[in-house]
Amino acid sequence: MKRFLTGLIAAGVIAPAALAQDITLTMWTESSTAPEGVFAREFSEMDNGITIDVREVRFDDLVAETLRAFATRANPDIIAIDNPDHAAFAARGAFLDLTPYVEASDQIDMDNYFDGPRSSLSWDGGVFGIPRASNTIALYYNKDMFRAAGLDPDSPPQTWDALLEAARTLTDADNDVYGIAFSAKASEEGTFQFLPWLQMTGGSFEQVNGEGASDALDLWKTFFDEGLTSPDTLTRGQWDSTGTFNGGNAAMVISGPWELGRMAQDAQFDWGVTLLPTRGPDGPRASALGDFNLAIFANTEHPDAAFQFLEYADSQAERVWPEFTRMPSRKDIALAPTGNDKIDAAAPVFTEQLQYARNRGPHPEWPRISKAIQDAVQAALTGQKSSQEALDDAQSQIDRVLN
Amino acid sequence: MRRVLNTLRDGVGFDTLLVIVALTYLLLFAGLPLIYNVVISFQHVDIFSLGTLFHPSAGWENYTAIFTDPLARTVLVNTIVFTLASVALQFTLGFAVALFFDRQFPGAAWIRGLFLAGWVMPGLVVGVLWNWLLSGDFGVINYVLEALGIIDDPIFWRSDVDYSLFSVILANIWYGMPFNMILLSVGLAAIPDDLYEAAELDGANVWQRFWTITLPMMRATIGAVLALGIIFTLQQFDLFAAITSGGPAGSSTVAQYWSWQLSFREFDFGRGAVISVLMIVVVLAVALIYVRSTRAETRL
Repeated sequence: MKRFLTGLIAAGVIAPAALAQDITLTMWTESSTAPEGVFAREFSEMDNGITIDVREVRFDDLVAETLRAFATRANPDIIAIDNPDHAAFAARGAFLDLTPYVEASDQIDMDNYFDGPRSSLSWDGGVFGIPRASNTIALYYNKDMFRAAGLDPDSPPQTWDALLEAARTLTDADNDVYGIAFSAKASEEGTFQFLPWLQMTGGSFEQVNGEGASDALDLWKTFFDEGLTSPDTLTRGQWDSTGTFNGGNAAMVISGPWELGRMAQDAQFDWGVTLLPTRGPDGPRASALGDFNLAIFANTEHPDAAFQFLEYADSQAERVWPEFTRMPSRKDIALAPTGNDKIDAAAPVFTEQLQYARNRGPHPEWPRISKAIQDAVQAALTGQKSSQEALDDAQSQIDRVLN
Repeated sequence: MRRVLNTLRDGVGFDTLLVIVALTYLLLFAGLPLIYNVVISFQHVDIFSLGTLFHPSAGWENYTAIFTDPLARTVLVNTIVFTLASVALQFTLGFAVALFFDRQFPGAAWIRGLFLAGWVMPGLVVGVLWNWLLSGDFGVINYVLEALGIIDDPIFWRSDVDYSLFSVILANIWYGMPFNMILLSVGLAAIPDDLYEAAELDGANVWQRFWTITLPMMRATIGAVLALGIIFTLQQFDLFAAITSGGPAGSSTVAQYWSWQLSFREFDFGRGAVISVLMIVVVLAVALIYVRSTRAETRL
C-alpha cells in the first residue's frame, strides 16, 4: 500500500500537504560520508518535502570558507562545524539560537548531552546547535612490535617516562620504524594534540606557561631530538600520521576513534588502545574533546525544516559508534558492540578517556588562541626558541586575546 | 548626427570608443579593487565587518603591526630568496633547453611541446606531486639521493627549517621552467638565420655568436620573460599551500602566503591588505620594466 501511495505521489496524482512545500536546504560538512552526510541523504529520501544538498569543504578550509560565505550572505542553512570554532559564530549572531525549538522538541533534550559538547555550543545562555558526536585522543600501540621488543603488550606505558622509554625501545631506524607518531602540525590539529599534555601539568589554554608547562613541550621535543618520531610529525596531520602506524612504520600513535574503521582494515598486526599516559603515576588525566556540532544559520529561510533535520540526526545518535566509530555525545547511549574484537576492545578505553576530555574554549577568538599555541609548539620543536620562551611568548599573545 | 556615426565607424570616434571601453574595463575590474585594497590597508576589517562598506579607520596601525611583526624579517628574506632563486634558475634552465631545441633535430618541436605538460598542470596538483617526492621517510628524492650515496640520512625537506623554503623553490623551478623555455624559443626563432651565417663566415665561434647576436637580439624577449617570471613567482601560492603551508614555524612563509594567512586564516583583512599593497608596488615596478621591454620590441 505504501509503495502504491509513493508511486501515486511520484506520478503527481496526489500531492500531500507535506510535499507541497518542497524545501531545499544546503549543508556544508567536512565529509559527505560522515554521519551528518549519510543522515542528510536518508532525510532527503523521506517523504517530508525537504531535500538537503550536501557540499563537502576540506577540513582545513571549512571555517575560512564559511566565514567568507557568511560575510557575503552566501552561507548554507546548516553546517557541521568543529566544536572549538562554534563560539566564534554563535557569539556574533551567525547561528540561530535553538532554545525555543529545543524546548518544543520531543526528540532533543539538552540534558542528555555530556557537559563538554553542550558547553561548546552554548553561548550567553543560548543553545546554538546540537553535537553530532564526540571524540578524544588516546594511545594506539602495535602489540606485535611490543612483543618483538620484549615489552609486555598487556601493560602499555601509563606515564610519560614509561612512554618515552617505550618509544626509545621500539624505535628501529634500520627497519624504518619510529617509536611514536602524532601530529604537531601548525593547524588546529596541533593544538588539539598538544593541549592534553599541557593540561596534565596543570595548564590550560588560558595559562600555557605555568609551572611544569614546558615539561610537556620538552617531552615532545625529546621525541624529535632523539629521532623517536618522524620529523614530518611537524607537518603531518593526524590521519596521515596514523597512516604510518597502520603501515608498520610507527610502533605507537596518538589519535582518536575516527581511525578505528580504517585501522581495523589496514593494520596487518595486533594492536590495542590505552589511555594517554600521565605525567606522574596517578594523573591528573586530560584529553582533548573533539568532533563536530550541527548548527543552523540565523539567516536561513527555513529554520523549521532545518531543525527537523537536526532532530533526525539526534534520533540516529545510536548509529554513530557502530557505523562511524564516533562517540555519541549523549549520556543515555552506550556504545553498541560492532562485531570487531579490536574496535570493541577500544570502546571502553575511549569512553573512559572521554571523561577527561576538555573543551577548547568556548571562546569567540579561539583561532587566535590556537594559533599562539601552534606557533609556540612549532618554534620550540624546530629549535628556534626554548620551550619556556616559546610558551611565554604564546602566553603574552593569549593574554592579549583574553583581556 | 550622420557625421558622428561615420567617425564611430572608421574615424577618431571609433578610436575614442576603443579607448573608453578599455579604460572602463581597467577602472572597474583592476583600478577599483586596487584602490579598495589600499583603503582597506588603513582600516580595521574583520570577517564580520567585511560585508559592510565602511570600516573603522586604523591609520598607520596595520603598517606598523606588519613591520614590527617578528615574522616580517623572515618573510622579507624568504620572498627575496624565493623570487631570485626561482627566476634565475627557471630562466637559465629555460634558456638552456630553448637553445637545445633550437638545434632543430628531428622531433624537436614535438618534444619541446611535451615539456609544456608540466606547466599546464594546476599548481595544486604539482604541489601534491612534489609533496610526495619530497616526503622525508618515503620520498623518491631521498631514495635516489641515498641510492647514489650523496646523502646517508634522509633529508626532511618539508619539515626541516633549513630545507623547507628550498623544497618549494625546487618545485617552482620545475614548474616554471617550461614557460620560460617556450617564450625564449619564440624569441630565438625570430632571429634571422643569415645573421649567424654571416657571423660564421666572418670567423665568429659559437660563444661569440651567442654573446654578440643571440643575447642582443633577444634583449626584449629576455626582459619580458624575466619580468613575467618575477610577477608569476610573486603570485606563486599553490605550491606553498600544498608542500609546506609556509612552515614549519614560518620558515617557508613568503609575502603572498603571509598575506593570505593574515586575511583568510586570522581574518585580519587590514594587515593582509598591507602586504598586498607593498607587493603591488614591487609588481608595478617590475611591470614598468616589462612595458619598457615590449616597447623596445615594437621599435625593432
